[in-house]
Amino acid sequence: MNQDRRTFLKKSSLTLAGSGLYIALFPMISGASAKQQLYAYIVDTEKCIGCGKCAAACKKENKVPDGYYRTWVERYSIMKDGEVIVDSPKGAVDGFKPVKMEKGKIEKSFFVPKLCNHCASPNCVQVCPVGATYVTKEGFVLVDEKHCVGCSYCVQACPYGARYVDHFGSGVADKCTWCYHRVTKGLQPACVNICPSDARLFGRIDDPKSSVHSILKEKRLQILKPETGNNPMVFYVGLDKEVR
Amino acid sequence: MKHCNHIIRFIVVFIFIGIGFFAVRSYLVPDSFGIYGSYSYGFHRGDSDAEQASIPALYQESESCKECHEAVYRTWSNGGHAGVTCEACHGPWQAHNENTLDTVVKDTSVEGCMVCHVTLQARPAGFPQIDDFASHVKEQGEEVQQDMDCTFCHEPHEPK
Ligand code: HEC
Ligand code: HEC
Ligand code: HEC
Ligand code: HEC
Repeated sequence: MNQDRRTFLKKSSLTLAGSGLYIALFPMISGASAKQQLYAYIVDTEKCIGCGKCAAACKKENKVPDGYYRTWVERYSIMKDGEVIVDSPKGAVDGFKPVKMEKGKIEKSFFVPKLCNHCASPNCVQVCPVGATYVTKEGFVLVDEKHCVGCSYCVQACPYGARYVDHFGSGVADKCTWCYHRVTKGLQPACVNICPSDARLFGRIDDPKSSVHSILKEKRLQILKPETGNNPMVFYVGLDKEVR
Repeated sequence: MKHCNHIIRFIVVFIFIGIGFFAVRSYLVPDSFGIYGSYSYGFHRGDSDAEQASIPALYQESESCKECHEAVYRTWSNGGHAGVTCEACHGPWQAHNENTLDTVVKDTSVEGCMVCHVTLQARPAGFPQIDDFASHVKEQGEEVQQDMDCTFCHEPHEPK
């Protein structure tokens, strides 16, 4: 009798543990993810003239609320004494004014356009508790505004400051989508389309006709904050060591 | 067998809790959840992709202005501003399309050109820049007149 009870307990607990494990792992065993990085974005800081037309076009195209920016341009001014000043008045939507400073005090100055890096292993997606932000099968990192609960975890997780929660409007997280709605229609993202100096390029990595294809092969590129391990898909030409 | 009673009771309760959990879960989780991928980054409501792709595009390409503004398009494509899209100066085509001319930006002001052309140390050295309007005009040996702006001397579609 005692023996019976022991085997019964053993068997039933094994069955329970087994089925529990199967249910937990089911999504991973079935349907492996077909996601891959099909697109890349290249920012050539050496060509950027800092007109801010990209930031302005983005605001209009995506109806970005006041005070928030999905893409913006930063001006780095490196002084003779090593001090670094970064400014971006209103995200550069109206461009930049000349700095009022003694002539020759600035050693070097340049523009760095920024946007969501659409990382291959994004922190922001990992931390989302409800599965409202995700990577599409083409490699776009998007936010499902109907499913987002506005908890702001992703805003804190993003090392690039690319996300915001519009507390006065929709109340959900939002950010650059690489203009998913345009790219799926065969257009370029609004910022790439409007750029007068080809400082922003976007295209399929595997398409030999796309503008990014040859640059990815030929130029030496950098990414922002590689130490965070997000594997960004936005690549920079001509970054200086001061840029973060 | 009477020692098994409490085990059986426990299992029955467990099964009911399990059924309850899955019933609530299937009610709360949208149908298309997870159809494009598993737990790693692609786990999401599948319908969201199509919803976002269906948003209309505001900006078109300069080609889209060609059919109605042939003459301007031809001048523009041979001039020094061929790299600057029409919509960088005139605003999105969609606005022009829907509400006719009221929303078409036609900025002839000095500031409209200076956004791109005022001298900044951060701009690439090879880019054509001018310090300010007055000194630029004086350099060309002219006097600043009333109502004078950049289009007084430069055709915006074909600047020389
Ligand atoms: C479907 C035809 C059509 C297309 C496409 C079109 N336009 Fe026009 N546009 C017009 C018409 C008609 C007028 C009015 C012409 C006039 O008043 O002489 C006009 C006038 C204008 C004007 C002058 C406004 C003014 O106050 O004088 C500008 C600037 C302009 N369009 C820019 C554009 C740009 C930029 C594009 C492309 C993004 C574009 N248009 C595409 C039909 C078009
Ligand atoms: C650098 C900025 C700039 C770009 C780029 C530009 N325009 Fe213009 N456009 C202007 C300005 C400024 C005026 C007003 C000219 C005036 O009133 O003297 C104007 C006027 C016009 C007009 C009114 C008719 C005229 O000739 O005065 C039309 C139509 C027009 N633009 C269409 C276009 C189209 C189409 C393109 C692209 C192929 C284009 N523009 C690109 C700045 C620009
Ligand atoms: C969106 C930015 C932008 C705006 C606004 C703009 N330009 Fe330009 N402009 C450019 C670019 C880009 C070039 C090409 C520079 C080059 O070839 O390296 C250029 C070139 C020029 C040139 C030199 C052309 C040559 O062949 O060397 C002149 C002159 C000029 N622009 C005048 C104007 C005037 C006048 C206006 C206002 C109506 C204006 N620009 C508005 C971006 C702009
Ligand atoms: C009085 C006529 C006149 C006015 C007004 C004028 N320009 Fe010019 N601009 C010229 C002439 C002439 C040249 C050609 C100079 C040369 O080739 O050396 C020129 C050259 C330029 C260049 C090219 C400079 C270079 O180094 O290649 C730019 C950029 C420019 N102008 C922008 C503007 C802007 C922006 C305005 C308005 C704020 C403006 N201009 C107003 C006459 C004028």
